[in-house]
Amino acid sequence: MNLLSPGTHLLLTIALPLIGAVVLWLLGSRGVQAVRQSATVTAVLTLVSAAWLILRYLGSTAAAAGAPYAVVEAPWLVDGLFDVRLSLGLDGLSLWLFGLSALLSLTAVLVSWEAIQEKPVGFYVLLLLLEAAMLGVFAARDVILFYVFFEFTLVPLFFLIGIWGHDERRKAAVKFFLYTLAGSVLAFLGLLTIVLWNASHTGKVTFDIAALTAGMAAHPLPMNAEGGWLQMLVFLALFAGFAIKVPIVPFHTWLPLAHVEAPTGGSVDLAGVLLKIGIYGFLRFSLPMLPDATAVAAPWIFGLGVVGILYGALVALVQTDLKRLIAYSSVSHMGYCVMGLFALEPVAVEGATLQLINHGLSAAGLFALVGMIYERFHTRSIANLGGIAARAPWLTVLFMLFTFSSIGLPGLNGFVGEFMILAGSFQRAWSGVAPVWQTAYMVMAVSAVVGVVLGAWYMLWAVERVFFGGSREPPRGAGHAHDHSAAAHGAGGTHDAGGHDGHASHGHGAPQVAADLDLHWYETAALVPLAVFVLWIGLMPDTFLKPSAGAVRAAARPSADAFAARMESLTVPLPGNPATDTLTARVVPLP
Amino acid sequence: MQPLFPATLLVLVPLLPLVGAICTVLLGRRLGPRAHLPAVAGIAGAAAVALILLLTTYAEVGHGGAHSEPVRPVEMITTLWQWASVEGTPAGEGLTSGAQQGFSIPVTLRLDPLTATLLVIITGVGLLVAIYSIGYLHDDPGYPRFFALVSMFVFSMSMLVAASNFLLVYVFWEAVGACSYLLIGFWYSKPEAARAAKKAFLVNRVGDFGLAIATFLLWMTYGTLNFHDTPNSAIEGILSQTRLADPGGIVGGVIGTAICLLLLLAACGKSAQMPLHVWLPDAMEGPTPASALIHAATMVTAGIYLITRCAPLFVACPGALAMVSIVGATTALVAALIATVQNDLKRVLAYSTISQLGYMFASLGTGTMLGFTAAIFHLVTHAFFKALLFLGAGSVMHAMGGVIDMRRFGGLRKVMPITAATFLIGSLALSGVPPFAGFFSKDEILATLHAKAYPSAHAQEHGDLPVAAGADRSPLHLAAYSSDAHAATPAGAAVGLDSLNTPAVWQTLFWMSLVTAGLTAFYTFRAVFMTFTGPVRVPPEAGHHAHESPPVMTWPLIILAVPSVLAGWLLFSTDALAHFLSATPSLWAESVRHTATPLEFHWDLAIQGTLAAAIGIAVAAIGHLGRRSDLPQMERYLGPLEPLFANKFYFDQIYQALIVKPLEGLALLAALFDRSVIDGLVDGVARIPVALGSLVRNMQSGLLQRYALAGVMGVLAIVYALAWQLRG
Repeated sequence: MNLLSPGTHLLLTIALPLIGAVVLWLLGSRGVQAVRQSATVTAVLTLVSAAWLILRYLGSTAAAAGAPYAVVEAPWLVDGLFDVRLSLGLDGLSLWLFGLSALLSLTAVLVSWEAIQEKPVGFYVLLLLLEAAMLGVFAARDVILFYVFFEFTLVPLFFLIGIWGHDERRKAAVKFFLYTLAGSVLAFLGLLTIVLWNASHTGKVTFDIAALTAGMAAHPLPMNAEGGWLQMLVFLALFAGFAIKVPIVPFHTWLPLAHVEAPTGGSVDLAGVLLKIGIYGFLRFSLPMLPDATAVAAPWIFGLGVVGILYGALVALVQTDLKRLIAYSSVSHMGYCVMGLFALEPVAVEGATLQLINHGLSAAGLFALVGMIYERFHTRSIANLGGIAARAPWLTVLFMLFTFSSIGLPGLNGFVGEFMILAGSFQRAWSGVAPVWQTAYMVMAVSAVVGVVLGAWYMLWAVERVFFGGSREPPRGAGHAHDHSAAAHGAGGTHDAGGHDGHASHGHGAPQVAADLDLHWYETAALVPLAVFVLWIGLMPDTFLKPSAGAVRAAARPSADAFAARMESLTVPLPGNPATDTLTARVVPLP
Repeated sequence: MQPLFPATLLVLVPLLPLVGAICTVLLGRRLGPRAHLPAVAGIAGAAAVALILLLTTYAEVGHGGAHSEPVRPVEMITTLWQWASVEGTPAGEGLTSGAQQGFSIPVTLRLDPLTATLLVIITGVGLLVAIYSIGYLHDDPGYPRFFALVSMFVFSMSMLVAASNFLLVYVFWEAVGACSYLLIGFWYSKPEAARAAKKAFLVNRVGDFGLAIATFLLWMTYGTLNFHDTPNSAIEGILSQTRLADPGGIVGGVIGTAICLLLLLAACGKSAQMPLHVWLPDAMEGPTPASALIHAATMVTAGIYLITRCAPLFVACPGALAMVSIVGATTALVAALIATVQNDLKRVLAYSTISQLGYMFASLGTGTMLGFTAAIFHLVTHAFFKALLFLGAGSVMHAMGGVIDMRRFGGLRKVMPITAATFLIGSLALSGVPPFAGFFSKDEILATLHAKAYPSAHAQEHGDLPVAAGADRSPLHLAAYSSDAHAATPAGAAVGLDSLNTPAVWQTLFWMSLVTAGLTAFYTFRAVFMTFTGPVRVPPEAGHHAHESPPVMTWPLIILAVPSVLAGWLLFSTDALAHFLSATPSLWAESVRHTATPLEFHWDLAIQGTLAAAIGIAVAAIGHLGRRSDLPQMERYLGPLEPLFANKFYFDQIYQALIVKPLEGLALLAALFDRSVIDGLVDGVARIPVALGSLVRNMQSGLLQRYALAGVMGVLAIVYALAWQLRG
């Protein structure tokens, strides 16, 4: 274990995709097969390395005590005034997101196996660059580094959508890029203001996130008229960046377009990881550094989260394109994360961070499966699909699994996060807000539960139309002659065992000539790991909650305290009760 | 009770079917026609273990003799693992100034008389259904899938009744729903089946919505979700013996009532009570054995279980209790009316199930010990005879090549004598004809409603008994009881509902139930006569199948017929079940216990009930005995009521018009808004820089001085802004 110091291990993990990208570039002339194989090998190695690092983290006593793990620091500009370091490390906030990035990158590579025949070198190089950027974002302990990685995730995805996307790819890519960029520039200005404010008090220009957090606690940005409401301005600047990224309704319209046009691999990374950076940003910067502004904005953003849940679900209900439906379901599910985070209640905040992972798994799985359906039938139109269950049983089984995960069926992961978010929100509404807010909070919390019903509605509607019933669209394989009569059914049937038992019966990368509509080995390999985690988190969520609990709470606490103080100030002391007890004593019954 | 021995056994009950399900998934294709083996073996093992557990628990409770010794509560708790936990924080250290409630969800199983009873029903009926399915589905391409799902269901259902925690109950509440979804949609290529599956899941989700919010409110109110006490801590479980022994332990008032009504909503979803009953008739699209197991004998009784388990919560809220009975009796009557005009044999049985579950709800709502035990008693007997009837209907359907419309066949008693005989036994039990099982359990339900409706008569009867004075049972007493204990909660606000709790209401409910008893006998025997009497007619679809089903299907019928005849008398005459159940902690609670009355047989009620059944059967005989079932039916005498019943009181249409369509309209509007307004605004904003760019373009004059000036001004602006910000 000591062969590799944790810091080096972390650096290596982030560097592996970059090395792989270079290797791939060199191998480019050897054809698609070599390119995708080396991309897969790279992604596997990175995943193994990341998993090993996570295991080391879990075994480390320092990490368990709350210290950041695997810290690497290189001085970049350190003098009397400046203290800029390139600093990387993992803590409870970033641990699982880091792992998720490595896992979904492998999925993204595998689902592109057959889909990408055109310019494969560029595609896989960009996919690996994206992986490095995603790993970097979560490992960054320095504002500059965070921002660089943050921006760097945009570029590969811009090209992935713009070059390998579908019909409207240009428009989608430009919209995605400009929208996100506009937000992130504002966020950067906000972060710079924090850095300068801190510098004006400490005399040192540091970009270290931990130091800035401490600095903001010691001398917070002004949150009053004479200070120009600076804290609120900075909060809004960060909000612009992160809210677009999440996306919080009404800043979401880039998302369905980007998803629909993106190649499957891009969608997997986008839905699975990139959306999470927004929530991560709130939790890393806004909540710990800007507590007073967060306390003021929290009810409104909480409300936006609920609106997002219902609005996303309603819009999803009338979508005709399966991929767009799932994109809107992402809007709805990210609403839960927003709501949980801004409930500022420990159960809800921990639920929201777990829900990031959960949504990452289920959305990535669903997008991957939609991509597979598109490859088989060349349509994503719900009206034109039908009866897939009879022809591709294992594909259906997995789609059902991720559907159930997404609609929060207990025993699977989605339920845990959703339940904790809702439980925490109810607790907030019950006894954590001033009376003037209580009815509104109760209504919002109950509305969010309505979203659970709507979520089941649109997903099961889609499942019914696409997978059940009679076949509507004859299968048209990508250039292969498919016999789609009874033989397809039979082939699907015999294929089951192969697909399930380790896909031994498939030719390794051989062109698919049989009327074989069920999962191929690389598709099984892409989805089964996700399915394993879906079950694992669902059955034993404590494994995943425990390591991040401390860090998540510490990050949320400044804002939660500020929120409590604000609610105290809004609470008129009840007669006969000491003022300090008002919040706890005032358990007002249901409206 | 040795702690280890039953604990291990208790885990085995859900575990064996789970292993069976997993084995079926893994080996299904390889086992081919023997794919049922793991599932049947698993469920059989579970049934054997459940029986041992029942006997152990029974021995623990003791016989009770002549009610000499007071019943002690009996329960056994075993924790398997910690599912999720979020630590609580003491006041001042948490995120808010108040104390934060910890959130700790252990996977804990419990064994008590209620659980033991239901486990035996679930695994016993499950086993017979699984065996029957070997014959019923023998050449279906989804054979292994069916057994995997049935096994999975038995696992989930056992966990549901063995869970000792509201969250775990919610988990398996949804899990059985998912199994039901997958089994209704078993023949997924049939669009009706796929639609029915979705409908069942969604309607159940509305109920789950209630359960979820109830769970949150329980957590807020009690600070835990466990039924049992948390070891080594001061946290009292919601339904633990320590809390139940404490007269102020249960919260009543507005919050208590809200919790109970939400639990009732959940129970209505799962147990197909109005207004959430619409999914169950459609669920008949699933394979008949699944209907027998899930949609007749077990899953749909989860609501009964939930309310019985939460008996102390309900008893503290008289208004909510009255609602339970009102919902139940109304559903019983409406479903029975609908059943009288159905021509699909399975749908007759489905509405009958809804109606019988309504009886159980009506009984639960009385909030007396007799009410709770009578509901469970009826649950048990109903599980036997309704499973029998469904499997009989399946046997008919199997023989008729999938045809289930009663107008298309007739006189089948000559074709399939065993099925006919056992179906007749089930029908007699369902109709409440003495001495069949349903008679006794229905009689108890009528008795408990009667006691509530005419308390003075009963008080007189028991005048010499200290425990059962009429005043003790009156709702007033309970209301006072709960509000005294919780002066903080404004008990007065729940009065709106509490005012339902009057003798007039209970009298109405009692007479509704009696009418329902007559209707039950009518529609049951209408089905019997249409199917089994008259000239022999067989539809062409039947082909070579038109004969008695194979022994693997008829033996379960014969076995189920035995308890359908005997269970009622056995359990009633010995009072074993009621005595046994009263040792369940929830029913042992003081507020329930003090309503206990000694066992007695009410001749007057028995005669009324039997008379109602006899009239029903007689009318059915006049209309249908020995007639061709495709001749015009008695419905034509119903006049304008006929379309009302045939269209199931237009519930589906009303929901479509009031909920589904408006929501879809709203969704369309939202989608339109999304595309044109929100995205339109975004695109509009995106055009601003372009417009600005064209404005600024003429400033790019190429003059170096201007650039320099602009640069200097920019720097000054930044410096000024910073200085302004940093001045504090």
